[in-house]
Amino acid sequence: MDKRVGLDSVAFTLNGAEVTTRPLPGERLSHSLRERLGARDVKVGCDAGDCGACTVLLDGEAVCACLTPTHQAEGCTVETLAGLRGTDKAAEALADSFAAHGAAQCGICTPGIIVSAVALLRKDTQLTEAKVQDALGGVLCRCTGYRKIIDAVLAAGAPHPVPKGDGHVGQPIQRLDGGGKLDGTELFGDDVAPTDALLVRVIRSPHHRARFDLGDLHGWAEATPGIVTVLTADDIPGTQTFGVIPAFADQPVFAVSETRFKGEAVAAIVGSAAAMQLLDEATLPITWTELPAALTISDALSQVAAEVHPDRAGNVMCRGFVACGDSEAALQSADVTVEGSFTTAFVEHAYIEPEAGFAQMVGNRLELHACTQAPVMDQEALADILGMPTDAIRIVPTGIGGGFGSKLDLSVQPYIALAALKTGQPVRLTYSRTESMQSTTKRHPAQITARIGATKDGRLQGMTFHGQFNTGAYASWGPTVANRVPVHASGPYQIADYRAEAKGIHTHCVPSGAFRGFGVPQSAVAQESLFDELADKLGLDRLEFRILNALDNGTPTVCGQVFDSGVGIRACLEALLPAWAEALTLTTSWNQVHETQRRGVGVAGGWYGCGNTSLPNPSTIKCGLRADGTLVLHQGAVDIGQGSNTVITQIFATALGVPVEQVTLVGADTDVTPDAGKTSASRQTFVSGNAARLSAEALRADILARVNADKTAELRLDGNVIEIRDAAKTHRLALADLPADAEGYVLRAEETYDPPTVPLDANGQGQPYAQFGYAAHLAVVEVDMELGTVKPIRIVAAHDVGHAINPVLVEGQVQGGIAQGLGMALMEEYLPGRTDNLHDYLIPTIGDIPPIDTLIIEEPDAHGPFGAKGLGEHVLIPTAPALLNAIRHASGVQITELPATPARVRAKLRERADG
Amino acid sequence: MYSFDIARPSSVADAASALGQEEAQALGGGQTLIPTLKQRLASPSVLVSLSGIAEIKGVCKMDDGRLSIGGGTNHATVAAEAGAHYPALADLANNIGDPAVRSRGTIGGSLANNDPSACYPAAALASAAEIVTNTRSIAADDYFKGLFETALEEGEIITEVRMAVPEKAAYAKFEQPASRFGLVAVFVAKHADSVRVAVTGASEEGVYRWSEAEAALSANFSADALSGLTVSGDGMISDLHGTGEYRAHLVTVMTKRAVEAAG
Repeated sequence: MDKRVGLDSVAFTLNGAEVTTRPLPGERLSHSLRERLGARDVKVGCDAGDCGACTVLLDGEAVCACLTPTHQAEGCTVETLAGLRGTDKAAEALADSFAAHGAAQCGICTPGIIVSAVALLRKDTQLTEAKVQDALGGVLCRCTGYRKIIDAVLAAGAPHPVPKGDGHVGQPIQRLDGGGKLDGTELFGDDVAPTDALLVRVIRSPHHRARFDLGDLHGWAEATPGIVTVLTADDIPGTQTFGVIPAFADQPVFAVSETRFKGEAVAAIVGSAAAMQLLDEATLPITWTELPAALTISDALSQVAAEVHPDRAGNVMCRGFVACGDSEAALQSADVTVEGSFTTAFVEHAYIEPEAGFAQMVGNRLELHACTQAPVMDQEALADILGMPTDAIRIVPTGIGGGFGSKLDLSVQPYIALAALKTGQPVRLTYSRTESMQSTTKRHPAQITARIGATKDGRLQGMTFHGQFNTGAYASWGPTVANRVPVHASGPYQIADYRAEAKGIHTHCVPSGAFRGFGVPQSAVAQESLFDELADKLGLDRLEFRILNALDNGTPTVCGQVFDSGVGIRACLEALLPAWAEALTLTTSWNQVHETQRRGVGVAGGWYGCGNTSLPNPSTIKCGLRADGTLVLHQGAVDIGQGSNTVITQIFATALGVPVEQVTLVGADTDVTPDAGKTSASRQTFVSGNAARLSAEALRADILARVNADKTAELRLDGNVIEIRDAAKTHRLALADLPADAEGYVLRAEETYDPPTVPLDANGQGQPYAQFGYAAHLAVVEVDMELGTVKPIRIVAAHDVGHAINPVLVEGQVQGGIAQGLGMALMEEYLPGRTDNLHDYLIPTIGDIPPIDTLIIEEPDAHGPFGAKGLGEHVLIPTAPALLNAIRHASGVQITELPATPARVRAKLRERADG
Repeated sequence: MYSFDIARPSSVADAASALGQEEAQALGGGQTLIPTLKQRLASPSVLVSLSGIAEIKGVCKMDDGRLSIGGGTNHATVAAEAGAHYPALADLANNIGDPAVRSRGTIGGSLANNDPSACYPAAALASAAEIVTNTRSIAADDYFKGLFETALEEGEIITEVRMAVPEKAAYAKFEQPASRFGLVAVFVAKHADSVRVAVTGASEEGVYRWSEAEAALSANFSADALSGLTVSGDGMISDLHGTGEYRAHLVTVMTKRAVEAAG
């Protein structure tokens, strides 16, 4: 009868091998596979069956390994991506197709996606889009927008010839770092720790605001088997607080006596893996006294609100301001004006990889491996916290399973660093989904009021903008948002009389920080929604109205900045004209025969200044040639899935004049790569790309000078000889004859690029950015007038990238950005303490993203490498307002509170029906 | 996590015996229980896995025309095998969760858990199901007792679910997009002698029959017959994804759409 298993072993077949393991009762199969059987190609994103990253095949059926008790695998066959690759025809076909389509970006969801697709392909070869969407419906991807995944699965098995050529700028080559993402060998933050590493658990505030007493935590640790130590503020050798902007550094590593948001760290427990698996936080001696908390902007600004920081009066963190002309006078003399108030929600980055890493002491140095967008900032911050010199700290970014801005800030780093320093042992920490959502930065919720005027012939005349941004308990990138928004809130349009102010307001919420767009997606919602109202009031076509007012070369922005070239918004808007006409016609005929499902078309524009706002923002790229002819590119611009490894190499190879395949990439690693700055603000293609170009040009100049060749000479790297051919002759430079330096390089170059900007004056006048990228989106939606649901039908996206270094990667950025913009518009709303998981916090699934047409516009930029502009942020800036404008066109109601959930849309519809 | 034993019986009799122990808990596909355990919302000392019991798996047509589904049958099997006999039920099963949930989750697990937003309780009520356990048979009308509450006794195992196959039926679900549970979902079934309308996802009391709609549809099985009916938001679930008032509204719309889909 009753076959007791208890702590006995479980045997099953894993990727063709018989394995036996001894899980704890009820242990998740995902945990046993990763931690006991070494199958770290199985990824864990939520431990709740929400994300599907851990999908494996159990007797051929796709299952979430995190919801499968290991004991239920007894006698079964378990297959994971690593085992399927090389043995399963479907998996091979899928991997080829994914590589060709660029269907893996960061790669963290890819194992779950491919495994699920293998299960589908084994059963069914007559695939349709609907079948693919159903089969992959349980696997979340935050990078790609799913369309390339659908395309790749549908095309699995078709021939995918690798594009021939030198891979230079403009060619859609496959990503250079793609292989490991498709066979499960790419190592992410949770994949790199040695198996005997100690684990850290951060203890966090259960209240939005509380006083607390740690009690006898050290006594508890001594009395609890397997616990090695505890960490509190007393264990910090250096500065207690950190922050990405030095003047605003205000976030304690561990709160002292009072917490300011739910999920704030107060202590950390360090112990063996076995002890930590059994740790019950309820046994800790910490006592909490909940205090009144201000969670909203209005709470925080009320007279009775507590000051979150005593030195920031009235809970106002900072203010950004831009003014030109006389906005009030212009509005008064305008023929028509519109005014509106808009609110947006906290938005969670929801990368599928929670923050993770490990740290160890190597001699007197600390080595830290973690998923990060900003290795040098991490290094500098840890030097302060640990009281160590910067060069005693090495940061090695692991694979990064999505970042989107939040992995610019410290997360696990100080805890594993302090624990490694204190214990001298390797230490590992991976955030749970809940603690990732509770404690890491969010997109700022905004409350915006704007007023815009126009003349009767459709010219913009005056705009005022007032935005308040809930920046949470600590500054993070809040000051950047406050500064950036007034510069961008006009949109890429000609407005001579303008006044915009943005404030960051402290609350007892999780800190808001950087998230694709830094506040601009929120301001675009207000401005672009009001533009539709203006156009309607004027009786003008909504797209023509935008074209009429679009910025041009030679016309000043609201900061008084004038570009002689590269202003591409008009070209983006005009590129939408054919789709606009077609969509309006189709929508009209659809609505003639459909009463309940009404369709509408919306359009919106956007722009984004690439790089820091009027601040130094350099990148340095190093390259070298070894005696054996190995050409090495030290590329420190962290690739978080967007493709900087590939794009920067393409730029480098083009500028040097050799094929991409001859370049060996190293980095990022603070011991090996010079500082290429942070992966943020759409700056890597532009700034690091320029540094790579300069570095290549310097190396090339050195080579040419050595043989006195003409600067137009062609280079050929042939083994350990460089052949240099100019009009006069062919020279040969034998690398083996040259002396090698300490790093083994016989030739080398290292160059820095810093974009030219001019500081803003008190009225925000100056040159905040050396370049802007531009975008315009068209959206078609269907609104169910009974239910309030909004179904996007089609999106057409025009993006001015100056020069598309890699068109496939451009499309990937555009589609992925649109998915995030769509989520922000229609479903995403983080409520502190209430939506700390991926089933209450909704992000788009594979069924939510409509077909997307990407129109690449190339208005060359004066400063960008080969004319290229940044792209990472303007991919989503117009999405939400385009969707809202389409909802308004379809249903007649203006949604002013995001997200436009079915309940909110239906409430608006009913309000209108009730008159 | 904490420590407990796990039993993996291969027969219903062994399972019942294992469940007779102190604080024993049955484990079906684990799609609900595993996360619950991890959050310490449940703390059994013995977990009895039912996934190895072959005798409670499978779908077949009974001599009296009803459809018999083994309690341990997963959703994917129901989706594949019920279609020839009861298309609306196969459709419901095929739209539960995602493929991973459908290959692990079972009908018995769903009915035993009685989540207020689950799909199968609506099908069971609308199909005048008989829920057969290792000790007795319970009519669906007597089985559902409110939120996560059922008529099951400690240690009782659902071995079989017998459903009357209606003349016409359809399940209209307004999905919670992440879980794909019903934010509100309605199963409408027109039987020879009656119409049953079962609503899930809406009420704080769990799945229920909407008697006014049943009466109206019994007289005239068409969406128009529902046009005068309204539902109050009182007693409806109000959460992040929809207020009680919104859910009440959805009940009327989804019922109408189910009737239209049933044809």
